[in-house]
Amino acid sequence: MQFNAELTGDAAALARTHSELLARLPATVSAFILVELQKWPLLFPPEQQYQRALLDVLSRIPSSELDQSAAGIARIEADAGASRIGERNPARFQDEAQAVLRKRGLFVAWRTEVDGFFQRIDPALEAQLYPADAPRRLIVQIYGREIAVQRDRMWNRFKRTGARVPLDLGGATDAGEFLATVFGAPRSRGAVPPLLNAAWIIEAHDALHALCDSKPSDALTGLSYDRLRSYRDDLTRTLNAKIQSGVESPQAFAAYARSLRITPSPGAMLRADDVLVAFVRDVLLTGNGTMIVNNTFVEWAAAQALRRAQPRMLVTRYGVRDKLKPFSSMIMFSQARPTDHLPVVQDPAGSFIDVEQLSYYVWVNAEKNPAYRGKTLYLFLAEGVDEMLAIGPETGTAPAAKMAPARLEDVCATMARWLDVPIPGGSGRPIAQLIN
Amino acid sequence: MADWWLPRNLFAQRPASKKPERRAIVVTFGGGVRYEDTLAPEGWVNIPHLSSELVPQGIVFPAARHEGLTGHFNSTGALVTGSRQNVDAYGSEPPVTPTIFELFRKERGLPPDEAWVIATNKSFGLMGGSKLRQFGDPYSANVVLPKQLLIKTIKSAVSTNAGPGVEDRQALAERMMLALDEGYEGFGWKVYESGRALSAELRASLAKSLLDYFNDPAAPTSGDELTFFMTKEIMNRFAPSLLLVNFWDIDIAHYGAYSLYLDAIRRTDRLVHELWQHAQSLPSYRDRTTLLVVPEMGRDSDVAGNGFANHRSGDESCRRVWLVALGAGVPTGTGTERPIRTMDVAPTVAQILGFKMPECEGKPLIELV
Repeated sequence: MQFNAELTGDAAALARTHSELLARLPATVSAFILVELQKWPLLFPPEQQYQRALLDVLSRIPSSELDQSAAGIARIEADAGASRIGERNPARFQDEAQAVLRKRGLFVAWRTEVDGFFQRIDPALEAQLYPADAPRRLIVQIYGREIAVQRDRMWNRFKRTGARVPLDLGGATDAGEFLATVFGAPRSRGAVPPLLNAAWIIEAHDALHALCDSKPSDALTGLSYDRLRSYRDDLTRTLNAKIQSGVESPQAFAAYARSLRITPSPGAMLRADDVLVAFVRDVLLTGNGTMIVNNTFVEWAAAQALRRAQPRMLVTRYGVRDKLKPFSSMIMFSQARPTDHLPVVQDPAGSFIDVEQLSYYVWVNAEKNPAYRGKTLYLFLAEGVDEMLAIGPETGTAPAAKMAPARLEDVCATMARWLDVPIPGGSGRPIAQLIN
Repeated sequence: MADWWLPRNLFAQRPASKKPERRAIVVTFGGGVRYEDTLAPEGWVNIPHLSSELVPQGIVFPAARHEGLTGHFNSTGALVTGSRQNVDAYGSEPPVTPTIFELFRKERGLPPDEAWVIATNKSFGLMGGSKLRQFGDPYSANVVLPKQLLIKTIKSAVSTNAGPGVEDRQALAERMMLALDEGYEGFGWKVYESGRALSAELRASLAKSLLDYFNDPAAPTSGDELTFFMTKEIMNRFAPSLLLVNFWDIDIAHYGAYSLYLDAIRRTDRLVHELWQHAQSLPSYRDRTTLLVVPEMGRDSDVAGNGFANHRSGDESCRRVWLVALGAGVPTGTGTERPIRTMDVAPTVAQILGFKMPECEGKPLIELV
């Protein structure tokens, strides 16, 4: 099927190069690729590399083999009557094709065939995109000081995984001092900690952002649920206005939401280029609960960052969420007038239960991803708690009692050694049990 | 020819009305709940009433499965029809095969107040019946959506800066009553009591429920609490033979807060227990009622799916559920590993209440009939 994707620049060139392949693929697969190419200016580099590699790998498969591999998808498309869809815009074609597949009860079978098709090409794709000598990666997950941590239940999902490392906090019990020491912030506080220079930091509040405010580098990405408040409010107001004016279908509402261009206020993000602004909008629109619950935002944004941007270093910091307010919270997109405001009540105990699950999900998402699997050191910290969980390809499963307490400076040195980042004036020593 | 243009209820068969001796209450432990968070040993802590008080009084089927689409409307539709449903997930289309409500009322010639759906899920307005020519509105269940009424009223209360807001509960309750007067169908309700208007008696019942609800010093604020309250009122006043109670607070899992999801499971567990106690306190239900408690579907697994927050992956965790039955005709303190399907609920209810259940995918649970 010939689509009219109206591509420009690199995406158009790529589609031209592979036009024969795109015409040969089943229409739903071809449309999927073209829809991704349409997003080209708003894709992160790893996403662009994936699309290039996908077309490259597919184009190297002999035609007869490709036809055979895609035969299941083509058969289901034929059964559903997808060829009778006249739509030439790939995104609208996708919507219509999904609708007919669901209508005919063929969606699950089609999805299974699509999964099978991609599973067959994944090994070649992964070998091209993620070579064995790719750089190491680091994911640090931190529970904020205000969370009511239960020591005996902490990191419960990792009972038989990783090493519990005792920590000597050295008096760094408040959040600012703890974070500054862990990430090797210069004493002068005039510069971004070297470890965070090219990291993604995603947090419920803004303690990590505060470490980086002075001179954030272009490579540092920061998303703070608290700092995005006015952006979230604007988005909420806009969506509510649309609902009030009437929407013809959930699909139309989703398309409207995707088309929104709302600019975050200055200071809301450490950097706010078009790709990131679109990323934040999509996180808030596609992640259930991300508009409402700060830690859900952190987890969903982290999972999307791992999947799409694939940062070499990711730091998440969870905080305390507010209790949901009765009544007023029932109306998802509307905002209560001032006279209806109930006082904000925090839920430190519930937040602990939440973040136990959410931090586990970030780890699960990373381990699903070949960019991270087998190459990543995971550190789990809780501010004010003298223990850390470390999981990594070179980490054993030593119980805390078997290890000498490490200083926070040692944690910093361990991360620096793992990433091969120099820490000027750093006094810590890498923890030998965690890295070779 | 006439059936093309005459109102269908004129053609409704009206055999001699006969209310059955038995009663059946189907409760969806609803909103999508995972086996591991409930009936699996590690989940018992979340369902103390079910695990230690209700299960010992009845039978548990730990290996139940939902087949079909894993959305709320279609999965609940499968429960009440005995067949997989594939209609609009947002409830704009009715089930495509006859529901137990229609079959029951038609065969027995029973009035509308003999079958009720009380649902927290706002999209369940069409759950009470199909639109099939031989069935449909003349035989459908009454459907009330208490939470939807609440939400609409709150929206109306906060839409203007004039007048009291959500803090003045008496004013809010009055708004709700006004809303019922102005047109309950706007909230998705389908009440067939007398034409297209709520009867005075029914309206009085609902008014009492709502005012009691809002005047309760404990101030329950969840949709399921309101559903429970309305269910009790309907049982007290109409003693229907067939009830579907849809609890749905558990779907708060979509917010991604695991603690809120667990809180909702515990609340549902408590409400199911209180509902059973309430049934035992009413002469019209005591010793003649069978209660079936079943999640309409599960939620995604942590590894294969997207985790507890969603239920769209279609993985096994979305499908693995359980069923607990107790009361009249049910053996006590037992269980069976025999695999069953949620679609078996409808033909089981048919056998309990003694009406025919033709052409469905489910099979009656022989342990209960």
